[in-house]
Amino acid sequence: MSYLRGLGPLTHAGLLQAFRSPTSLFWTLLFPLTWLFLFGFIFFRSVENKVLMMPGLFTITIMSGAFFGVSYLMVKERESGILRRYRATPITPTTIVLANGIRAIVTMSLAITTQAAVGWLVFRYQVDGSLLLTVLVLLIGAAAFVPLGLFIGSVAQDMRSAPAITNLLFFPLIFGSGAALPAFMLPEWAKTASRLIPSSYLVESLHGVMIRGYGLAELAGPIAVLFATMGVGIWANSRLFRWESSEPIDRRNLLVTVAVIAAVYLVAALIAPAFQMTRAPGGT
Amino acid sequence: MVIQAAGLRKEYGSTVALRGIDLDIDSGGVVGILGPNGAGKTTLVEIFEGLRQPTSGTVSVLGLDPATQSRKLKERLGVQLQTTPLPTELTVRELLQLFASFYESAQSADAILERVDLEGLAGRKADTLSGGEKQRLVIGIALIHDPELVMLDEPTTGLDPKARRDLHQIVRELRDQGRTTLLTTHYIEEAEHLCDRVIMLRRGEIVADGTPFDLVGQSKESSTIWIQVDGTMDPAPMVAVGVEALGQQGVHHKFSTSDPTATILALGDMLRSQHLRLIDLRLKRPTLEDVYLELMGDDLDEEESGEESSP
Repeated sequence: MSYLRGLGPLTHAGLLQAFRSPTSLFWTLLFPLTWLFLFGFIFFRSVENKVLMMPGLFTITIMSGAFFGVSYLMVKERESGILRRYRATPITPTTIVLANGIRAIVTMSLAITTQAAVGWLVFRYQVDGSLLLTVLVLLIGAAAFVPLGLFIGSVAQDMRSAPAITNLLFFPLIFGSGAALPAFMLPEWAKTASRLIPSSYLVESLHGVMIRGYGLAELAGPIAVLFATMGVGIWANSRLFRWESSEPIDRRNLLVTVAVIAAVYLVAALIAPAFQMTRAPGGT
Repeated sequence: MVIQAAGLRKEYGSTVALRGIDLDIDSGGVVGILGPNGAGKTTLVEIFEGLRQPTSGTVSVLGLDPATQSRKLKERLGVQLQTTPLPTELTVRELLQLFASFYESAQSADAILERVDLEGLAGRKADTLSGGEKQRLVIGIALIHDPELVMLDEPTTGLDPKARRDLHQIVRELRDQGRTTLLTTHYIEEAEHLCDRVIMLRRGEIVADGTPFDLVGQSKESSTIWIQVDGTMDPAPMVAVGVEALGQQGVHHKFSTSDPTATILALGDMLRSQHLRLIDLRLKRPTLEDVYLELMGDDLDEEESGEESSP
């Protein structure tokens, strides 16, 4: 355990920071609620749309937490020199990355719980399938995308370039995946392309359990891809973690890592079962 | 031996920060690394800390290689970086507890709070502390695991005189406990009064190394002597024995000499022969600052330079 010494206190400190800072509270808890209301007023008028939007909404919350929350946190801690100070102690990069990851998953869980509670209170939204499985899929989803966010945080040079990278990735991840728009509304080419987008597998899993009431066995395909996302993300972090902004990014290493990530999704697109979410509801 | 370095060289692209440093530091005492900005002080210390890798040369700190045995080394090494940003939103006590958790064994936050005199501020958020308070916290963090070797990079830069004295007191306590402290500074009087050994660095090379007392003795600078007598004095006999007469400064006659002992003896003879009584005598030997200015030459153009000597 000496390798992970400090993980508990560092996670705790991170959560204290998250809940004491008004800015951080706004982004972690209030901002996801604005998405809920935005979606609510646009889509919740009709019953079937209301059902359809919730998986997308949760996916957006996880994506924004991973790509804006946790990746910026890494960049800021590195840019300000806090990581450099940690470097002068025996703490390991794994501990720092894990602590930031756990912090992100906890804050995301709270955001989603708030969204679900307010969604139920205001819009009378309910999960049709297994609530337990829904929670499990959400946790797997968070654990899958947080490492990718941390990876972006290690790769982004500074707080000037980080938003460019995250926005560049964020919009395809939410618009191309059926998160912001129901997948069955996408044109055929976009439905095909969505199989290459990591977040599609989270929407598909949530869609399966929350709307179609699927069990674990029926969701094995997309969940396997989420686990692959987690694995490749953790691997990418171990290759490209940087303590200091002045440390150069190893270009070759980065290229190889990105190529491997792309290859994982190419394979996923080829072998994962056909998406159910791209079929119009009620047409089953 | 606490630190052993041989042929340490560090290049950043085409800039050479260290040009072959050979250095042995024994256990115990306070060692000061003195030099103007850009002399390579921070680079040298950060190589010892394992935060930077030398381009060539070998280094061993507490018998360990900072590059390959860094975790082991960091358990025993206390570090204050030149700038220490701390996580925001955390209190003084929480920060100490956080850093304590990184080490195999550490002191309690309370023990450190007492040691750096921050007991009253334990519940304050670190970003509301004054410069001196924050620096004491940063030193407290460096000492949390009871390190045998402490490295402080410009610990007093930018602090007011009171805060500086407080920090000097902490460093003296470290010496009394038998720990080794390595500190960088560009305050000459700090090096002179606090350090048992001073290493002067210029453009990545060691240009002087010794106790402040010995270094002053090596100075080529002249001593200045002022005397006041009860009548009219003719300084010509002094000039005859190689002393430079600098005229009067107020009621004092001022002389410059490279051999103050011989000069004072000669002064006695002269006063006796001129039937004068000595009212006041003052002697100013070269200081560490003079040695520093001699050695650093034109590297100091942008640094604060010494004041004119006066009685």
